[in-house]
Formats: sequence, C-alpha cells, structure tokens
Amino acid sequence: MVTSTGKTTAANTGRGRLALPPPPRQSDFSDRLRNEAVTARVGVWLGVCFTICFLTGVWSHYGQEIPGWLTWPTSPSWGYRVTQGLHVTTGAAAVPLLLVKLWSVYPRLFQDVPRRPPRTVLLHLLERGSVGVLVAAAVFQLATGLMNSSQWYPWEFSFRSTHYAIAWLAIGSLAVHIAVKLPVIKRAITGPLDGPGPPDPPASGAGRDAGGGEDARHQPALAAGGISRRGLLRTTWAAAGLAVVTSAAAGTVPWLRELSVFGVRSGEGPQGVPINRTAETAGAQTAAQDPAWRLTLVNGDDTVELSRDDLVAMPQHTASLPISCVEGWSASAVWTGVRVADVLAEVGAPAGSDVFVTSLQTVGSFATSELPANVAAHPDTLLALQLHGEDLHIDHGYPCRIIAPNRPGVRQTKWVSRMEVLA
Amino acid sequence: MSSNARVPSADGGVQATRLVVGAIGLAAATYGGWLLWEQRADWVSLVLWLGGGVVLHDFVLSPLLLLGGVLVANRLPPAWRVPVIVGAVVWGSITLLAVPVLGEFGALADNPTLLDRPYVTSWVVGALLVIAAVVTGGLLRQRSHSRPGAARRVAG
Repeated sequence: MVTSTGKTTAANTGRGRLALPPPPRQSDFSDRLRNEAVTARVGVWLGVCFTICFLTGVWSHYGQEIPGWLTWPTSPSWGYRVTQGLHVTTGAAAVPLLLVKLWSVYPRLFQDVPRRPPRTVLLHLLERGSVGVLVAAAVFQLATGLMNSSQWYPWEFSFRSTHYAIAWLAIGSLAVHIAVKLPVIKRAITGPLDGPGPPDPPASGAGRDAGGGEDARHQPALAAGGISRRGLLRTTWAAAGLAVVTSAAAGTVPWLRELSVFGVRSGEGPQGVPINRTAETAGAQTAAQDPAWRLTLVNGDDTVELSRDDLVAMPQHTASLPISCVEGWSASAVWTGVRVADVLAEVGAPAGSDVFVTSLQTVGSFATSELPANVAAHPDTLLALQLHGEDLHIDHGYPCRIIAPNRPGVRQTKWVSRMEVLA
Repeated sequence: MSSNARVPSADGGVQATRLVVGAIGLAAATYGGWLLWEQRADWVSLVLWLGGGVVLHDFVLSPLLLLGGVLVANRLPPAWRVPVIVGAVVWGSITLLAVPVLGEFGALADNPTLLDRPYVTSWVVGALLVIAAVVTGGLLRQRSHSRPGAARRVAG
C-alpha cells in the first residue's frame, strides 16, 4: 500500500536494476498500479473469501469432531455439501486474489525501518511481524488445502489439525491487519479508483513507470499501452472466476463438471460415485469379503451378531443422500439399507442413543466414528447395503456402511464391523 | 499505526472498531498459536512449510515477475502490453493453482476415481486458447493504435 513515501516517487529510477543487487527500495517501484486503491479493492474480496473459507472450515472441523456443546444438525441433508463446496470455492478464488494483493504491496517489503523514536520503531516492527505471520499463514492455508484436495501430503505433520490451527492464526492476523489498516482501507475504498488519488497527486509525478513514458503518471502510461487500475482489477476478478470454474466449483455443482478441467475428480466411479479411500488402501479388503463377517451390536452387556443376510431380511429403506467429502467434491446417491434406529432396536437400545461405530479399516484415520443421538435416530440414517440399487461395491463399504444426512464423508464409516451404544 | 503511513485522522467510531477488531484478531491468532503448540507437530516440517511459502513468494516468484516485467512487458509494442499482461496474470495464477493436479502427485494406483482427468492436455488446450485470445486482442488494439488520433483510446 502506498503511503507517504508514495508522495515522492521522483526518486524512481526505473525498473532495469531491480532484479540485481543491491536490494531495491520501496521508492524504486512505480505506484501507478501498486496503489492502495488497487490493494484495498482486491483486499476486500480476499478478506471476504478468507472469512467464508474460515467459517466453513471451522464448521467442517466441528462436523468431523463434534464438540460437546454442539448438536450437529441433520438437515438440510445437503448442508455439508454446500458449506464444503463454499470452502474449496473461496479457497480457489483466493489464489489469484492473494497473488495480485501481494504483488501490489511487494514494494513495502523494502520499506525503511524507522530509527526513532522507540515507540515508532516498535510499532513498525510489530506491524511488519503481523503481516509476516498473515502472509505465511495465508500461503500455507491455500497451498496445503489445495494439496489435500489432490491427496498430496509431502510433509510430516497432520494435515487436519495443522490446517485448523493455522486457520485461526490466519484469520486472527487478518483481523489485526484490518484493524491496523482500517483508515487506509476506508480512504482507498471511498476514493476514486482511477486518477492519482490522495497519495499520488498529479504534480508530484516525475519518475518513469512500466509504461516507459516520459511522464510516469496515469494517463501517459495508459497511452503508452500500460494496463489501467480498472483493467488490472477486472483481470484479477476474471482469474478468480476462472480458478473457481476450472478447479473447485465443479466438484460441487454437477452441471459445471465438464468445465472443471483441473478438478481432482471427474465424478466417475464404481456405481457412479467416486471413492475417497479404497478397501485396499484402508486395509479392509480381506475382512470385508470374508463370508464369516458379522456385524456386532453392543448395548451394555447385550451383544448381538448379525450376518449380512440378517440385515437384508430386515425392513429396507431407501434415501437419497449426497456423499460430501471434506476435499470439496460431492455426489448425489441413492442408498438402500436398514435404518440405524432399527438396527439398534435389535439390542434394545432406546431411540436417542449415541452410537460408536467401528470399521474393518486397519490403515489410516477415521476408522471409527460417533453417531450422535439425533443422527442415529434420524429416519434417513441408514446402515446401507446397496448403492443405486446394487449391492455396495467393496470400495463403497461392502458389506455395509453408515450413511446419514448432512455428514462429512469421512464420518460416513465404511466396512462397518461393530456398533456400540454409548451409555 | 504504521510508522510511515499518513492516514487521515480517524473518528472515534473507527478507532473503537479498530480496537475491537484488533483485540479479537489477537485473541484468535493466539488461540491458533496455542493449538499449533499443543499438537507438538514435527517442527522442522512445519516451519519449513510456513516459511517456505513466504520465501518462495518474496524471493523467487516476485523477482521473476519483476524480471518478466523488465524483459518482456516493458519491451512489448504498446498495443500488446495489456493483452499479454491479462493473459499472463490469468493463466499464470491458474497454472499455479493447478500444480497439484498437473503433477498428479497424490495419485493412488488402487483408486482410479482420484485425479482421473487429462490435466496436462487441458492445460495445453487452455494455454493455446489464452494465446489465441492475447493475439486477437493484440491485433485488434494494434489496428486501433495505428488509426490517427486514436492513441488515447487504448485504456483497457
């Protein structure tokens, strides 16, 4: 953002030397495009994206690990599909927005540190420190989030807990940044986009800029073929829109799927539904195909074992519920199976019991999940045996899986082996 | 607050908002730092990934962009600057976004439903479309440039 140093761009010596040492100074950069009018406008949309991304992300985190004070809603059944779709959509849009935003303030990296008084020095260093934290956290969130979508984990930390912790760091340092910059943001947003603007009076310009004209101010630069501030903003919006269409939105909006050329999934898969984790990867392949498989139901001292035939013989229900992954893709599907409430009745569990579900999965996280009472009692919460009218494909959770409305995909436990009623 | 920022004198309402938003932000960031500390992750990997993004942006990507500006954008004929800049910003950021799928680093042999699109082909087709759009824009602007008295009508 251009501040008082932007008033004296007479020292601008052109860009030819910028790539070479010694390091450039803030005043070496043209402020025609790297201007607070541009920065603030991109920043507002970046802030909107980060805020939506943060809120939907925290919501998703709660959905995967429901805190005691929260009753996770079971309706609308497509709720998680929408919030997680928003999460990846705003994340994708934020990539071009962040790039342009950082480009527009890059000269500030080279601003002079004041030498006195101590209070000024301290405030300066604190502000730069907070911006450093913000940039590190923002880049980290976008990079790791994108990589998680494609299941690429070239690091040694846990993605989920780290992405969650740094989300708080990012949103917190963003709020601090907004607090620091609020007067500048207000001035920039209410001021005109084109034209010199307050920090950039027409009389002061004497340097050269990207346009290479003899006068570095706005109109001559445009005449020389430079892009206008409005043009740069429109380009940024176009890039953000294209980012959403080509990579993210299509995972959520089926009719956009054909345009999602960089989407992590085409939407194809066995029985018409993509797979997050296969039986082989989960280490459930053998046990899931074992004819001796039994579903173990536990309620206190009572234990009941049911074969798949026993389950098939019970009253069957069909529900149309999306499978919605934390990675942003989702697919509508028609599931048939036994209501979890009916299954629990086999061990005399009262309606409204919390249930702990265990999978045959031996490798990776989410081998167990909890069905809170309100979810377990929902008539559409099924122990599914079929998908789209066929017996579940083994990668969809054969012999049976949990499917419940508005539930993160990782908690729609596959290859269920045991359901225990919690006291 | 910024030492060298000349900001307009803010009224009381704005100052109160700044204090509240700043305090909430500090609390949220502190909570995030505590969460990070508590999970006792692999610190080397974490610091590498947190700092790596900043270093790559500030000292690799940005200097390259500056170099690109000096070597390419500033030497283009005026009519071609806007189309080339627009094309580079759009396709450059889309390319960065697509790195994980272009490399297919997360592909799993037993899961053909993941990373199952022809990403490189799509990227090449997209790049050709962008190039076509840039050339079209450049040619159109060149024509309007060459018209007498039209020099000021080029603002994109």
